[in-house]
Amino acid sequence: MKKKLGVYICHCGGNISDYVDVEKVRQAIEHEEGVVLAKTTMFACSDSNQKEMVDDIHQYQLDGVIVASCSPKLHLVTFRNVTETAGLNKYTYVHANIREQASWAHSDDKEGATEKAIRLVKAAISKSSYAEALYPNKFEARKTIAVIGAGIAGMKAALSIAEKNTAVVLIEKENSIGGHVAEWGSLFMSNEKGYELVNRIHNNLLQHENISILTGTEVISSKGNIGNFTLTLQKKSKSIDNTKETMEINVGSVVVATGFDHYIPQEGEFSYLHNRNIISLPDFKKLIDKSTEKTLIYNGKEIHDIAYIYCVGSRQTDGDNKYCSRFCCTSTIHTAIEAKKKFKRIHNFHLHRGIRTYGKQELLYDEALQNGDIFIQFYDDFPPEVSSIGKKTSLKVKDLLSSDKELLLDVDLVVLVTGMVPRMDQSVGQLFKLPKGRDKFYNEIHMKLRPVETVIDGITLAGTCQGPKNISESVNSALSAATKSYSYISKGLVETEPIIAKINADACVWCGECLNACPFEAIEQKEVHGKKIATVNKSVCKGCGMCAPVCLPNAIDLIGYSDKEIFSMIDALAE
Amino acid sequence: MEEKRKKIEYDALVVGAGIAGGETALNLANNGYKVLLVERDHSIGGKMILLSKVFPTLDCAACITTPKVSEIARHPNITVFTESEVTSIVKKTESLFIAQITKNPRFVHVEDCTACQLCEQACPVNVRDEYQFGLVGRKAAYIPFSIANPKAAVIDLEQCTLCGACERACPTHCIDFTMETDYFELQTKTVVLATGFRLFDPLKIPRFGYGKYKNVVTSMQMEREIAPTRPYHTILRPGDGKIPDRIAYVLCAGSRDDSVGNPICSQVCCMYSMKQAQLLMGALPMADITIYYIDIRSFGKGFEEFYQQAKDMGVSFVKGKIGKISEKENGNLMLRYEDIQEGKLKEAEHDMVVLSVGMLSNPSVNQIFEGEMLQLDALNFIQQSDLLGSPAKTSIDGVFVAGTASGPMDIPDSILSAGSASSEAISYLIQH
Repeated sequence: MKKKLGVYICHCGGNISDYVDVEKVRQAIEHEEGVVLAKTTMFACSDSNQKEMVDDIHQYQLDGVIVASCSPKLHLVTFRNVTETAGLNKYTYVHANIREQASWAHSDDKEGATEKAIRLVKAAISKSSYAEALYPNKFEARKTIAVIGAGIAGMKAALSIAEKNTAVVLIEKENSIGGHVAEWGSLFMSNEKGYELVNRIHNNLLQHENISILTGTEVISSKGNIGNFTLTLQKKSKSIDNTKETMEINVGSVVVATGFDHYIPQEGEFSYLHNRNIISLPDFKKLIDKSTEKTLIYNGKEIHDIAYIYCVGSRQTDGDNKYCSRFCCTSTIHTAIEAKKKFKRIHNFHLHRGIRTYGKQELLYDEALQNGDIFIQFYDDFPPEVSSIGKKTSLKVKDLLSSDKELLLDVDLVVLVTGMVPRMDQSVGQLFKLPKGRDKFYNEIHMKLRPVETVIDGITLAGTCQGPKNISESVNSALSAATKSYSYISKGLVETEPIIAKINADACVWCGECLNACPFEAIEQKEVHGKKIATVNKSVCKGCGMCAPVCLPNAIDLIGYSDKEIFSMIDALAE
Repeated sequence: MEEKRKKIEYDALVVGAGIAGGETALNLANNGYKVLLVERDHSIGGKMILLSKVFPTLDCAACITTPKVSEIARHPNITVFTESEVTSIVKKTESLFIAQITKNPRFVHVEDCTACQLCEQACPVNVRDEYQFGLVGRKAAYIPFSIANPKAAVIDLEQCTLCGACERACPTHCIDFTMETDYFELQTKTVVLATGFRLFDPLKIPRFGYGKYKNVVTSMQMEREIAPTRPYHTILRPGDGKIPDRIAYVLCAGSRDDSVGNPICSQVCCMYSMKQAQLLMGALPMADITIYYIDIRSFGKGFEEFYQQAKDMGVSFVKGKIGKISEKENGNLMLRYEDIQEGKLKEAEHDMVVLSVGMLSNPSVNQIFEGEMLQLDALNFIQQSDLLGSPAKTSIDGVFVAGTASGPMDIPDSILSAGSASSEAISYLIQH
């Protein structure tokens, strides 16, 4: 039992103190058993308060520290490190969340929020008095990194890792590398051709001996944990005896760069597939790049008047894709400019929902306006109507910019500006159990603090598998992911949390319930002194706690959340 | 003076300690490199540390920034120079840059200062507080802001009357008027420029009346009013201290506007205005908020959903550019605009107007390179020499750019850009 506890109650600059009476909380807990110091602070996480905590720990010889502030997701690690700096075992630190769980959740009831905060802090104090010193598990790390997906993000991530004298395995499902960028001609903001950019980076990759590029290869299973993943790879092409060739690789960390799919319009969406003069943005971009005549020809017909319908498959009012696909406004405008430069008598009509050429891309929008392109803004809930009469394709649209006038356009070609959607093939995400966001793209831990890391240690995200991005943004994300993956393993050693399941061998009767409950395959059956029992693989267990409640003889304890600690917290909460 | 220069040596020089520079320094330091982080201001943390909550997740900016800033300040591999400027950089060889650095005196020994604020109370001089964007005053002896790092007093010698009151009040005798400027000569192997942006100055658009009408404020001033470390405890309009209940946002103030020499979009103003609108609706539940816009650009992850959320909360969006703002006798403001949706010229009365000012390039890096010159783009942002292939590369091999020094960016993009710049810098250090 700890006897000298220090408790800090944070105002969070008003985030907490506007609703929770922090001084009242302080007074309510200052005489709790073991508490020798109770303070309020404007920002517990600020440097000056961190310094003060270190001084207090020394001056009052504290053996346990509790901070009542925001969610532990934000600052558990921050305060663990403070206690470690002051010489305590960092795992004895206990965090109470009185922001998300009290002030924010009960902003309509200040007294209730304060009362709840008091109980949460009391529970944390109880836990603290039982918290034991713990030590991280250390493992040797493999100094090789796998990059899954060899589009622009994967290629750049692999290159960046190789430049850091670290071995990389670049795995691509398709038979060639380059992803979507390899399909493109002229790219916006640089006018370099997509396939040339891919070739340039490919040549850079070939200069590094420590990169193996495996095309036509899929990852079919993954075992292990940060520092030591075993990936099973399978060649897609069959060998002579009709069996699929598989191999295993061992890597320390993994960069996931599986990219996006183009949104494919549904049959009949803006007459798609019903009218031959309607194509998607990717097909139109390829058409512009590949055509060598002086006039643009499509389906044997000269094309002069082109209408672009924006936000097809993005910002849907009815469908699931609520998000903006970010690249399509600029990409369309750039392609329209290219078309006008390359072919005779092109007239562009942009039917949009607000042009989003953010940043310097605005200059392209200016250029299109200078070119005489017509921009018509339609309402979110009144999309243009496409009709075909004979060979003619007509559009009816209500224009917000000319005070709701209904316009009729006869055009030769309609381009559906299709956006990005998450990959249909989610196998890589399922393999590593990567969480997805509301938009179904893979989710980072924290957009600003840890933007390329996932909740699965050792797995980072690069490029558009995390959300729509243009090329430059994908490369920035890829290089960030590469650095993170590199720093996981560059020291040759990884440390993992000691908070994992522990099995009491005497009590275990091997019923197999824990094996079924474990989502990480961390439980194994072993025979010890002639008795079959469950054991926990320390490098695989994530400490999720799923096994503990299903154990009938109560043989499993979660380290750091022992029954003793949890019961003491419940007692404090229910007091 | 040359012989007085102290010689120092680091693996990397990072210029600018905002979030992009700080993130770059941390990435380098965590991989074992010694970093010198040079900041012109009195605190690290840049503009983000002064913000309220940040879109689209509405985390409080201080809660995200302070621990990062603390980690930077304590990191054994990072040395921070505040109130310092890099005056010149010369590339000697592929792995040797020589930089001249001037460290201006703070007139306070930071290591002895306890930030007790007694000097602040003793100082008789009142001047405009630049960290609160002029909403309130500060003293000539002052702590920059409550979550500044280092958290220590500064003496503003230009405003100081040398009365000595602060020195007498200081219990730790850390105030020292004899402090002099220090000059350093740095040898380093790579340089990352993270010099950030300047805010557009709305005085350049006289028809908006900023500076003339007291209830026309900038978005940065409103940001301070709703920040946790805010100057007043509630939202007040500066003219008469009334709590406003009809607030207007004028988007693209100084962006997408050739007439002020800034044709590009600042990328963040739509989002931060919608964020402020949401926070204001929380703080002033009865207030009406109207956003006057050209296009709403909510393009990032979770941004479009944030826009829909603002609409659902009852923020009014009016598509139309503000032509002119005039002031009524009671301090309210008349906004003349073309309502594009209705095709009519209209006038609307608001009791407070927020100009959503954009980002301009920071000219401070223009002149520091000698010999091989650093290329800038047409708007004086640092030119990205391989925008698509290696966005952090500049025209000089071994010099990289992070964050808004290369163009407008939001916080998530700045952090990814810093990740990219640090990745390039680490590769450069390993290869050379």
